[in-house]
Amino acid sequence: MRLKFLLGAFFILSLLGAIVLAPQRLSRNTDRSDGTVDEIRRHEGRRLRLLSWNIGNGDLESETRAHSEDLPIVAQVIMDNDPDAVALQELTGEDQLRLLLAHLKNRYRGYVCSPGSADRTDAVLIKDNGGSGRGDRSGRQDHNAHIDLGVRFDDVPAGDRFAAAATFRLHKDFPEIVLVSAHADAFSASRRRTFAADVVDWARSQTNAAIAFIAGDFNFEVSTRNKTNLFTDDAKHDSESYAYLLKYFRDLGRDAGETSINDRRIDYIFGPPEIVALHRAEVLRGIAVGRMDHWPLLVEVAL
Amino acid sequence: MITQLSLELLKLVRSKGFYLSFAALSAFVLLMLWGFYSYAQQKTSGLATEQFKYTYESKSYFNGLTFTLYSLMFVFSLIIPIFVAMNAGGQIAGERRAGTLRMICIRPVSRVSIVLSKFLVVAIHTYVLLVFFIGLNLLVGLLFVGWGNLDLYPGPLNLVDEPGRILRDDALWRFFYASFSGTWALLVVAAIAMLLSVVFDNPVTAVAATLAVYLTLYIVGRIEFFATLRPFFFTTDMDFWRDVLKPEVPWHNSYHYACTCGAYIFGLLLAAVVIFDRKDLTN
Repeated sequence: MRLKFLLGAFFILSLLGAIVLAPQRLSRNTDRSDGTVDEIRRHEGRRLRLLSWNIGNGDLESETRAHSEDLPIVAQVIMDNDPDAVALQELTGEDQLRLLLAHLKNRYRGYVCSPGSADRTDAVLIKDNGGSGRGDRSGRQDHNAHIDLGVRFDDVPAGDRFAAAATFRLHKDFPEIVLVSAHADAFSASRRRTFAADVVDWARSQTNAAIAFIAGDFNFEVSTRNKTNLFTDDAKHDSESYAYLLKYFRDLGRDAGETSINDRRIDYIFGPPEIVALHRAEVLRGIAVGRMDHWPLLVEVAL
Repeated sequence: MITQLSLELLKLVRSKGFYLSFAALSAFVLLMLWGFYSYAQQKTSGLATEQFKYTYESKSYFNGLTFTLYSLMFVFSLIIPIFVAMNAGGQIAGERRAGTLRMICIRPVSRVSIVLSKFLVVAIHTYVLLVFFIGLNLLVGLLFVGWGNLDLYPGPLNLVDEPGRILRDDALWRFFYASFSGTWALLVVAAIAMLLSVVFDNPVTAVAATLAVYLTLYIVGRIEFFATLRPFFFTTDMDFWRDVLKPEVPWHNSYHYACTCGAYIFGLLLAAVVIFDRKDLTN
């Protein structure tokens, strides 16, 4: 009888232990900064707010690229959150960018990269802080118009496609910032790896005097939450891509949670590991328009 | 209880199944060595080296510790549970089948101590099996693959979210910890088998039912469609044993899951004891 009571006591103790020691679930929507350096620095310096959003659609039956009729709401989300720079993916081309900039009341200037082998393009938008170029549309033909304002746009050759990059300053006394908007292949992990490596190499080549950020939809997911990843043809290639990015950059949205349907975290904003302090990383869930399959990832750092 | 335990231990070391488990694990290590060796040779030459510069398939990645890690990960989920279930499932039902259970029960020992001593023997067997397997892998890894640090990357092993490294000496300690966390996790399977061994008259039925429950939950837990059900499976809780092999051990999480496994172990054992205590042994 004593042994039975002992077993019962152990059972109850274990049960209590499991309840008391249950892991605290962090709200994935809330701000988070990790490490004391971030804590100290988060209140210092100029804030830089970046937003990355794949505005394409998940509906396989029709147009999977961005829908022009969704752009007013996309513009509204951007204006509501007031990011300094935006990385957009899956636009159809320059026409959509012009339309979006018009919806943004020309508060931003933008650039779409060459499509390369892809049927869709990436774009970067930079907030126009009242410079003489207000109203410029950008695109390759407007390239020279931005040089006098310190904004420069580039195509980043990566694998068999391109990414879009913008170099800008928040203030004349602040260092240059480079933001790359990237969209890696959805179907081939090997092509994703090549793409990620090329984007990283290009961004690193810009970092002599500038702070580089890489944002976009990389289509890989390396979380341990996935027991079986049905969305990749080679987890090792994806791991290699992520490891290479983390070799030089920091995954700023790491704790913000899933960014796409099916609980996937495939949209990232990578920043320098030490120069900036993370103030906020948030996935703006619930504001996807129509049949969009991604949510915007918003990151705010102190420079 | 001590006498009972020593008798059960004697029975264990005299059984063929005991040696079969070690032989099977040794064969698995040899198979792993062949597979690992040829794979490493193939992947650390030519195009693969150019493709993978930072994670897998580099010469520094393949070493005795990586070999042990892979080996342990594969064997823990699918092979060791079979031997644990075989041993535990045969404890009571096996005695009944052999016609010796009534004789054991008429001795002046409580039925509770019979069940507990048999379970303790299963626990000892499980721990020895794990220590043997880890030790053999480390030895084979040292002799045939070589030493190095334990580099961990996100991906196939599903162990870490970002690249990490455990230094060699620390990694050896981690494998030592894994022998305890692994044993504790496997005791859940042992407790289920023990309960079913009490319930069923046939040891084969007890073992098969245990493996059916374990494998069904293990496989279903890996299918994305059942992600919402996954937290309720004991196989999910059992996964905590791997936490000690992460660069930063999430101790708080580990304690939680260890306690959950403890609740399963003691709860199932209690049920087994209560049922066995009231069971009418007629054969």
